[in-house]
Amino acid sequence: MSDTGAPKPSSSVKLVLLGEAAVGKSSLVLRFVNNDFQENKEPTIGAAFLTQKCNLPSRTIKFEIWDTAGQERFASLAPMYYRNAQSALVVYDLTKPSSLNKAKHWIAELQRQASPGIVIALVGNKLDLVSGNDESGEGAEAPARAISTEEAKAYADQEGLLFFETSAKTGEQVQEVFEAIANAIPEVALKAKGAQGMGRGLGGSAGEVAPGLSMNEPNTKDSCAC
Amino acid sequence: MFSTLIQKAQSLILEPPASSPSPAKPSKSTQFRNQFRLPAKQTLIQEISCEMSLSTGDHYTGKLYLSEAFLCFSTGSSSTAAPASPGFTLPLCAIRRVERLHSRSYMFALSVTTWHNDLRLTLQFAGLRPSCERFCDALKKGLRTQMNESKNLKILTDSCYSEFLLAGSERKNSGLDGEKKEEKRPDTGLGVLFKYPGDTKKLRDRSKMRLWAEYLRDNGRNITLVRQPTFQKLIRVGLPNRLRGEMWELTSGSMYSRLFNPTLYQDTLEKFQGQHSLSIDEIEKDLNRSLPEYPGFQDEEGIVRLRRVLQAYSWRNEEVGYCQAMNIVVAALLIYMSEEQAFFLLSTLCDRLVPGYYSMTMYGTLLDQKVFESLVERTMPILWDHFNKTDVQLSVVSLPWFLSLYINSMPLVFAFRVLDVFFLEGPKVLFQIGLAILRISGEELLQATDDGALISILKDYFARLDESAHPNSPNEKLRAVTRFQELMVVAFKEFAGITHSTIIEERARHKEPVLKDIENFAKRTQLRNLGPDSKKLDKEDLSNVYDRFYKVLYERQERDLYQLEEAAKAQRGKDAKSEVLEAGRVGLGASVTIMSYDAFREFLSGIAPWARHNKLMSPWGGNQVPADHEFIRRLFKRWDTDFNDALTLQNVVSGLAAIKGAHKDIMSCISWFFELYDDDGDGRVDKEGILKISEALLFITRKGFTFETSTPPLPGDDNRPDEKFLKSVSEFIHRCFEYADPSHPGNIPSTPSPPSSPDPSDDEEDEDSDDDLIAFESIQDPTPPKPKRKKEANIALDPQKPLHITLPTFRMVILADEALESFFERGFTASFSLTPSTSTAPIPSAHLSTPSAGLPSVEAARVGIRGVLDGVVRDGMRVAAEVRRRMEEEVEKAAAGAKEAVDEEEEKEEVGRVSEGDRDLLSGAEADIRSIAEKPLVAEGQKEGEGEGSEGGVGVKKEEVVVERREDLLQ
Repeated sequence: MSDTGAPKPSSSVKLVLLGEAAVGKSSLVLRFVNNDFQENKEPTIGAAFLTQKCNLPSRTIKFEIWDTAGQERFASLAPMYYRNAQSALVVYDLTKPSSLNKAKHWIAELQRQASPGIVIALVGNKLDLVSGNDESGEGAEAPARAISTEEAKAYADQEGLLFFETSAKTGEQVQEVFEAIANAIPEVALKAKGAQGMGRGLGGSAGEVAPGLSMNEPNTKDSCAC
Repeated sequence: MFSTLIQKAQSLILEPPASSPSPAKPSKSTQFRNQFRLPAKQTLIQEISCEMSLSTGDHYTGKLYLSEAFLCFSTGSSSTAAPASPGFTLPLCAIRRVERLHSRSYMFALSVTTWHNDLRLTLQFAGLRPSCERFCDALKKGLRTQMNESKNLKILTDSCYSEFLLAGSERKNSGLDGEKKEEKRPDTGLGVLFKYPGDTKKLRDRSKMRLWAEYLRDNGRNITLVRQPTFQKLIRVGLPNRLRGEMWELTSGSMYSRLFNPTLYQDTLEKFQGQHSLSIDEIEKDLNRSLPEYPGFQDEEGIVRLRRVLQAYSWRNEEVGYCQAMNIVVAALLIYMSEEQAFFLLSTLCDRLVPGYYSMTMYGTLLDQKVFESLVERTMPILWDHFNKTDVQLSVVSLPWFLSLYINSMPLVFAFRVLDVFFLEGPKVLFQIGLAILRISGEELLQATDDGALISILKDYFARLDESAHPNSPNEKLRAVTRFQELMVVAFKEFAGITHSTIIEERARHKEPVLKDIENFAKRTQLRNLGPDSKKLDKEDLSNVYDRFYKVLYERQERDLYQLEEAAKAQRGKDAKSEVLEAGRVGLGASVTIMSYDAFREFLSGIAPWARHNKLMSPWGGNQVPADHEFIRRLFKRWDTDFNDALTLQNVVSGLAAIKGAHKDIMSCISWFFELYDDDGDGRVDKEGILKISEALLFITRKGFTFETSTPPLPGDDNRPDEKFLKSVSEFIHRCFEYADPSHPGNIPSTPSPPSSPDPSDDEEDEDSDDDLIAFESIQDPTPPKPKRKKEANIALDPQKPLHITLPTFRMVILADEALESFFERGFTASFSLTPSTSTAPIPSAHLSTPSAGLPSVEAARVGIRGVLDGVVRDGMRVAAEVRRRMEEEVEKAAAGAKEAVDEEEEKEEVGRVSEGDRDLLSGAEADIRSIAEKPLVAEGQKEGEGEGSEGGVGVKKEEVVVERREDLLQ
């Protein structure tokens, strides 16, 4: 199934991350790009730019990721970054109700102002904080889930968005988000930059994952290599 | 909350940001302040041509300027505003002595001895005697008033490394040991503790310091320093580590702010100790992310300093608060200077050097990006075309350069070299460096086809700044030139044409579109944030409400500033063109986002014709003067749900949604109106309230209302809707009193028609013409407790016996009258026209602004007796009195004219309606909706004279009564 060695068509996809401050945008990117979780030591001014490849069975997608600053006043710079974006990851913190509101505003903004046909994924992050097995007993500090999966999912369905709940800390579902986006980008939207990617088809060692299936371990570098 | 806003506004007025990007032509005082880096309050008092000579023999011709607290000299003209040109900026308090010299060639010559005794300046004036004398007089006055400021001088100079440096070399000369000096070494930043970045040997720090020591010895230091051409050269080769902070402070001018505010930093920290704000939280998040590569910021010492400076500034300037990137800039400053120095330098940065960069909307950042792009387009058209063709957006890389003053982009040693020049020469340096970077990397950049490539090329360029620019050159000297040196040469030689004026002009050119973009974005965002109430309003309406809301706030601020400015102008002479006239703009980060009552009236006058004053015109032209009325005050209070005595946009939108929102029907409109007058929310409106409602009804409709167009033509009677409405209102009062409940249960038996009475026939009995007359009479004294002859006819009117109406009664009374019904059905809601160009659109301002002559005629002719009423309203008199007078006339007329048939007709209709309302009343509050739904049916049934058999209980009984009565009448 894995066609390692044979150059697959490769194309760049511009992806922008938006969301309220401290919902974990940078952490999601860091998890996706470096499979790492740490306090972001790189100060971000305006937006950070990172790239990461994502190998699909039929093609390679090179994500050009714009990780925007979360501080409210930087919002007015956002149009600069979501301009021409083919995909967007709008992140909220599922322990913080206000963050979903903010996410909704970003989605409305994107639907109205960004390129038509932009693929948007709504992502509720910090799943690790609410995953049942609380080791500290009474959950003295553990924040409760404030946004139910159903509520967010219903909203996502209504708006036609991809929807995931993730944990950048454990890596849960992070890979899947990006894969789902890669799969959702319509073939025609991909620039014919294709041929560039030849020779770089060092596909996933663990073999490609069929799109939509989320069977892989979060911590293995499966389908994506840098 | 409001008072802090006022304070803020005042501080804005008193300390205008010296060079906001707004003015195309900054005022002379602004230019003057910019040129000499003076604090905001300084204005130009005197200027004169002059020759300055130093004891070293150097002399320069230029101009001498005097402000309230400074004596300044420069060889550069102020239009180029070259702060680097030879000259000085001398605080008057740092002048020890001024002597008049006798000179042959000039009429006037002064010898100035400064704080640092070793520096003596000779100033020879070139001007007519009177102007020289004027200058000297002003100088004398200034010196006297500034004398007591000299106590601050010692504090300041003690903190300056230059003092220590020169004292040290003296000590060395006199053979004292170097042990002691360690103790009182001035704070020259974290670098002392954690090492300064870079290799001191490679930076040739020691020889630089020697050169500086020499310069400072001859030309004064810190506060008394005289700039000679060497000064700029010494700065361009890079400042020595220990002197860097002080020179940054001096060249940027922040040293002067520190001189005059010696305790501000400490005071601010103490005052706000332990307090919380959003900025404080945001600062905390970024402390560990500020120059983390520098050891000082991996240490608590560095973090603590950074925290204190950022916090103090966020309190000092709450409008800016904290913006990411400030952490990086301040961290860089702290390597070379004390906390206090960094605090003042940050203020100078935000106010003057990079205005608007860190503001709420970051308009300065976006504006300078536009300026930068246009400079690239102008100086490197090929590269610019390439960017356009490949759809590469330059600002994704250049924005962080400007926002963090290159600190985040280049290796620190080089970034500091850029800062050295930046603080001396101003913001143009950021542009020159940026252009030079693109010029040098131009070839490679032409290969880049996307943002990612652009980023990586430049990242690579910055990483290799210390390498040789010409590694393959046979010339050893050329090989020794680093890429950074090359950058500096390109920036300041090739782009020498980019001056301060260029930047000012370009900023003025791009300001409008940039602000528009920001405002559009802010509008989109805010409208989306308004929540469910906003959904009830039409999209276009909502957009207009937003525009009008901010327009009013903006115009009011502009007006206030204009007035203050005018006052100031009158006070201190002509030169006072304001540069802060646009302070209220959303794009600039509107400081005021709430509406006072007066602003609200102005707002309302734009959307509701009745909120405009009848005759008066605005002194500001255009709009009419907003009216003032009890009703408007109630509206304001009602909308002010947060009890701030001010309205937010959210308040206004929610308020309007309650009136105009979709699915509003007559019943909700009636309830809304009733609640507006139900002050204590107990479901009752008292006598006073009833009168106020009637006043409000007349106030709102005094310019006519559109009920006649929205409902089918009224049956027959006179086609003067205003008179009809007037009558309706008087009947409204009458009926309210008639059906009012006594507020004390004891009154019940004597009330003619307790609405709760289960026997409706009583009501009907009272409804005859005799009683009508009596009732009209009784209204004469609704409020004043004047005992009257007919009082006993209606006990409800007895001032001793308070009464009230309830919502059902109110509803009944309204529905009993066609005009009132129509008013609540549509007229009231329609009187708010959120989107111009509907029928109730503002009367064209051309008409309004025509002076006196044509004004009253149109309206007066149209409204007839309403004109009288207008006068009454305007004069603030009781409308009720007028109503009574009018109604007496009517009644008299009716009596004299013997139009019985007509009366009967009216009577009949009235009866029908009252009983219908009564039914509604009796069926009680819980049946509201049902009864509304049934209303038309019932009405029709009545006209046909058929009972409604299907109606339940009480209703049926009443219908029968009505039918009977009607038959009687017809006989």
